[in-house]
Amino acid sequence: MTKEVVIKSNKYGMELILSDQIPFQELLQIIGEKFRETGNFFKNAKMAVSFSGRVLSSEEEIKIVDAIMENSDIQIVSIMDQGGLQEERMKNRLEEAGASAGTPKRRIIRKVQQPMPAEAEERPRTSLAKMRSEHTEKASAVDLQGGFYKGNLRSGQVLECPASVTLIGDVNPGARIESAGNVVVLGALKGNACAGMNGDQSCFIFALDMQPIQLQIGDVIAKSPDKVKDGRHLFKKEKTVQGAYSPQIAVAREGTIYVEPMTKGCLDKL
Amino acid sequence: MSEVIVITSGKGGVGKTTTTANVGMGLAMLNKKVVMIDTDIGLRNLDVVLGLENRIVYNLVDVVEGKCRLKQALIKHKKYPELCLLPSAQTRDKDAVTPEQMVELVNELREEFDYVLLDCPAGIEQGFKNAVAGADRALVVTTPEVSAIRDADRIVGLLEAGEMKKIDLIINRIRMDMVKRGDMLKVEDVCDILSINLIGVVPDDEQIVVATNQGEPLVGGSSLAGQAYYNICSRILGEEVPFMDLDAKKGLIGKLKDLFKK
Repeated sequence: MTKEVVIKSNKYGMELILSDQIPFQELLQIIGEKFRETGNFFKNAKMAVSFSGRVLSSEEEIKIVDAIMENSDIQIVSIMDQGGLQEERMKNRLEEAGASAGTPKRRIIRKVQQPMPAEAEERPRTSLAKMRSEHTEKASAVDLQGGFYKGNLRSGQVLECPASVTLIGDVNPGARIESAGNVVVLGALKGNACAGMNGDQSCFIFALDMQPIQLQIGDVIAKSPDKVKDGRHLFKKEKTVQGAYSPQIAVAREGTIYVEPMTKGCLDKL
Repeated sequence: MSEVIVITSGKGGVGKTTTTANVGMGLAMLNKKVVMIDTDIGLRNLDVVLGLENRIVYNLVDVVEGKCRLKQALIKHKKYPELCLLPSAQTRDKDAVTPEQMVELVNELREEFDYVLLDCPAGIEQGFKNAVAGADRALVVTTPEVSAIRDADRIVGLLEAGEMKKIDLIINRIRMDMVKRGDMLKVEDVCDILSINLIGVVPDDEQIVVATNQGEPLVGGSSLAGQAYYNICSRILGEEVPFMDLDAKKGLIGKLKDLFKK
């Protein structure tokens, strides 16, 4: 029955060879059936797909992709156009999509035109390495949809987030983490942190090891207490404290910032 | 009549920032109104050495870019309210400020303070040009090492070419025991090479490291280095202070006295 649709697969995706002799609706149906039969074989695979043998509008392509995904567990991460370097490009797309694992199916479908556009600009800059390579505050403003960040922030580095942010790593003295929402540091906060950048005082700052230089929540700024002159025990003392740190949370109440141990009761107050 | 002094060296790590902190504090002790400007944008240290890091909200770049008023960015010292710090930005670089802007800034500060101290970054690039632009007077810091002296010489040349009115030399971290053994250049040798007016000799002192880590400059204290810095401050004010005898061996009584002091 199915000379109308032929599925050919390569290492990185598959090519659908479609007949142009039958109406589109019928074709769609056949594709649906085909994938219902064989779809389980692919089991959640991420694939790039290309079409040949029939001229398709982009709407039709999307419909086909929807049909494939509805009838099987395959995730189509990208639609490729016809071209000589198809396999190569499929590989690229797939690897790129692999980097953003965990994003919902629908969102990643994106059409690529024949001459490949400079892709780096399309993608949100989420790599820390990228941020680090650029010094100015502006460049380090990272568009983070996930709001997760891994790595240490070193002196002079600024992490700005339009939403709440979780940093897995330390904020060193001289570094700054800013967010319009909440700030969670799964590590030591030894630099500056700012939550509720746009003036929201209901935000909080959480850190596993809270030793900040300054905290800011909304418009309220608090500084760390000055060092008490204590002879030569300066470093010794810090070490003993370090072993015994406990997670703490900073909140703003009536124009003052309070840093409290993270306990059960704390949650209710938020 | 206020004076703008740039503390510079060319080479890094010879003690510019430590000298700035100590001289600034010493001048404040002598009842002068002093402001210190950290011009090392991107690698700020002066605030840490002074123990004022946690008070920084605005910085030099914010002032220059008009994001805040000058008064807002000035940080008063804990002990000496006549002593102020204008910290630099940590997240920017030297190109964020131009020499013209620095001159303007310095002239604004000149009206309020007796002394404006500029802590210069290492190197002879943009940061150096910024720092030197508004200064009337320079303190060149060097250590008795050939590399530091070479760089200091270059700096002195640049300052002279820029028509700096007054250039003085501070020899930092000298060790008299090594000088005696002939392993280190003598004060006279350094002065011969650089041939500028010597304003102070600061001995190598462990206490400097302790003081830096605690954020409490040791000027005026009992340590040799503290005294040396205090003398430098007096000389900056124009007083004639004899140079200390750095290798004075302490007698038994002197040692005992020191013991009781602690």
